[in-house]
Amino acid sequence: MATLACLESALSSLRITNKPAASLPRITLRNASHQAQGRANKAKQGPGKRLGAKKTGGEYVIPGNIIFKQRGTLWFAGDNCFMGRDHTIHAGVPGYVRYYRDPARHPTRKFIGIVFQKDQSLPQPTHAARRRHLGLLAYQMPEPVVEAEIEEPLGSGLTSYQPPSAPRQPTTINLKPTTNNPQGLQLTLRPGYQYRQSNYEIGRSAERKEAAAQAKGKTTRAYNDYKPGDRFAAWRKSALRIARNNERKAMGRGNKGAKAKK
Amino acid sequence: MPLDRRAGRFARCIQCTRHDRSLPVRSFSTTAPARLEVLDSQTPAEAAPPPPAATADTPNPNTKPRARDANTVSTPAAEGQLLRNQRTTPVGSRRRRAAIASTGSIPFSQLPYQCFQEARAFLQVDRQEKLEHIRMQRQRIENLKLRAVPPQDEWIKENRIRDMKHRLEETKIAADMNDPVVKRRFEDGEGDLNKPIYRLLADRQWRAYRRKVLVQRITTMNVIPDVLPAIEPIVSTTLTFAGKRVQHGDFVDSRVSELAPSMTIQPYDKGPRLYTIAVVNPDVPDVEKDGFGYRCHFLASNIEITPTSTKVLLHKLQSETQVVLPWLPAYGQMGAPYQRMSVFILEQPKTEDGAGFQRLDAAKTRAEEPRYSRREGFNLLSFVDRFALKPVGVDLFRTKWDEGTAGVMQRAGIQGWDVEFKRKRVEPLPYKRLATVRYR
Repeated sequence: MATLACLESALSSLRITNKPAASLPRITLRNASHQAQGRANKAKQGPGKRLGAKKTGGEYVIPGNIIFKQRGTLWFAGDNCFMGRDHTIHAGVPGYVRYYRDPARHPTRKFIGIVFQKDQSLPQPTHAARRRHLGLLAYQMPEPVVEAEIEEPLGSGLTSYQPPSAPRQPTTINLKPTTNNPQGLQLTLRPGYQYRQSNYEIGRSAERKEAAAQAKGKTTRAYNDYKPGDRFAAWRKSALRIARNNERKAMGRGNKGAKAKK
Repeated sequence: MPLDRRAGRFARCIQCTRHDRSLPVRSFSTTAPARLEVLDSQTPAEAAPPPPAATADTPNPNTKPRARDANTVSTPAAEGQLLRNQRTTPVGSRRRRAAIASTGSIPFSQLPYQCFQEARAFLQVDRQEKLEHIRMQRQRIENLKLRAVPPQDEWIKENRIRDMKHRLEETKIAADMNDPVVKRRFEDGEGDLNKPIYRLLADRQWRAYRRKVLVQRITTMNVIPDVLPAIEPIVSTTLTFAGKRVQHGDFVDSRVSELAPSMTIQPYDKGPRLYTIAVVNPDVPDVEKDGFGYRCHFLASNIEITPTSTKVLLHKLQSETQVVLPWLPAYGQMGAPYQRMSVFILEQPKTEDGAGFQRLDAAKTRAEEPRYSRREGFNLLSFVDRFALKPVGVDLFRTKWDEGTAGVMQRAGIQGWDVEFKRKRVEPLPYKRLATVRYR
């Protein structure tokens, strides 16, 4: 027995399994690539976006031409130019590009504008009437097509305008008071040939009915008005609501049972 | 003002029908010159049956509820009765109503608020002092005018008189500025604009907001500098077409602007003066020039305006002595951009003696000045310089092509009602092929 124990202990020291973790030598880990190589420098090393001036000062441009591509507004759109959604400056009119400053417009900004003739410069003189470009041509509007006169069939006997025989449709209808509408309804003729109340009348009908009922000492409310602090009234209201809901559920269950039986 | 809160307490939400919508809302004023009419929304069938008539034998069981006065109810119960039975809201604060009920009708200046009365007494003493100053300054001006000065010092005397008059005007305003009755009268619209204090208050009110809007509109729409290089508006104007007010820069339908408008020109300095009104359109399309030209739609002179007489009906002006160019309807042809119709008020120069204003001879202008009797190519700056006018006011409305424009142009005999403007085709630039070594 002792020898078996000795053998067991000797063999157990050689076994890989059952060895406590602390007795295993620690193996150091080392990967080929490290975290710093992931994102740190990639933003600066991407392909160039070809920003900058595409048309120099004095060049002839047509509407839509890109003059300057930029990130943000290094240059602003001046006369006859417009800025796109990525701050690109485009030409708005055919003309010659000018790069300039206009302290009257802004003390520090730089502008790109377009003039119509080579000898003009920007900014335009202060208090002078602006130079403007029409860019339109005048055309004669086409004459309206005159429809050929419809020939009346012979023997119709109509020689002059005959007024319509049927009386004109009324544009408002007053309905008599009913239980649902004690004040009566007034329906007006609306586009689409429908007779209906105005939307605001429909929206206010509930409040109007309540006001009319209250004038008679009654109410159309299912529940009484809320009184803050009146716990008894609040309990009564919630008890009533719960009872109603249970009734509705019971009715629904009854219907379902009836259907299942069938 | 505490009045606003009290008015709201009784009127609740204007749109809510739960609280008896037919109840009128008290407007924001301390006085009730005309009692608000009861809005009877009930149909006759639903009205409560009348109480049984009282006969000699049986006394009337339903005694009529006591009629309450909106100016004197001060208890909550009485206020409730007023609301329910007479369906009117009380006037002013409860304290005021209690004071009126106990002492009869009290004038505004004698209301029993202690601080108010103390302040009033203080201000009245101050006002008496200022009136004394006014009397003294007037005397001094008269004395200075009578004093003989050598001719080389005449300019000093004139400057001094001018400054003393300016000081006198300031004192006149200072005497009335602290008066609560003056302030209330102005706010109720009852101020007499012949008096300097009301003119100053009106000018201040105009400059606080409406003038800023006007200047912003004429600047952002480039009326200045397209028509005139610069202008400082000192008179306020309102423009009305067919009875409807037009805001500065509004679009006006061509059929509405077919007839001449009416204007009110409000000056804020004293005395009568003569104005010239010019309506200029700086957006007339010129295809040969590939630009825009000017057209004058209306020109009239010698229009007398005072701070209290401000209304001008352009179609009622004298065609011989006042109107140089009669009203031409505003029109914008199809495809052209919107036309800005700028209305300029120009003050005519004073006469040599400085008493009155020079008149412009309309007939002579029409006959002898071709530059200003022609509509096309009308240069307003040149007109202003030629007759030494001073631009004091400006207004603006816009017009564009709509369904009625063709009809308006035909009725006015204007050529081009069937002209349409279309965009000119721009030749594309030739494609520049770059060096193929570096670019694809």
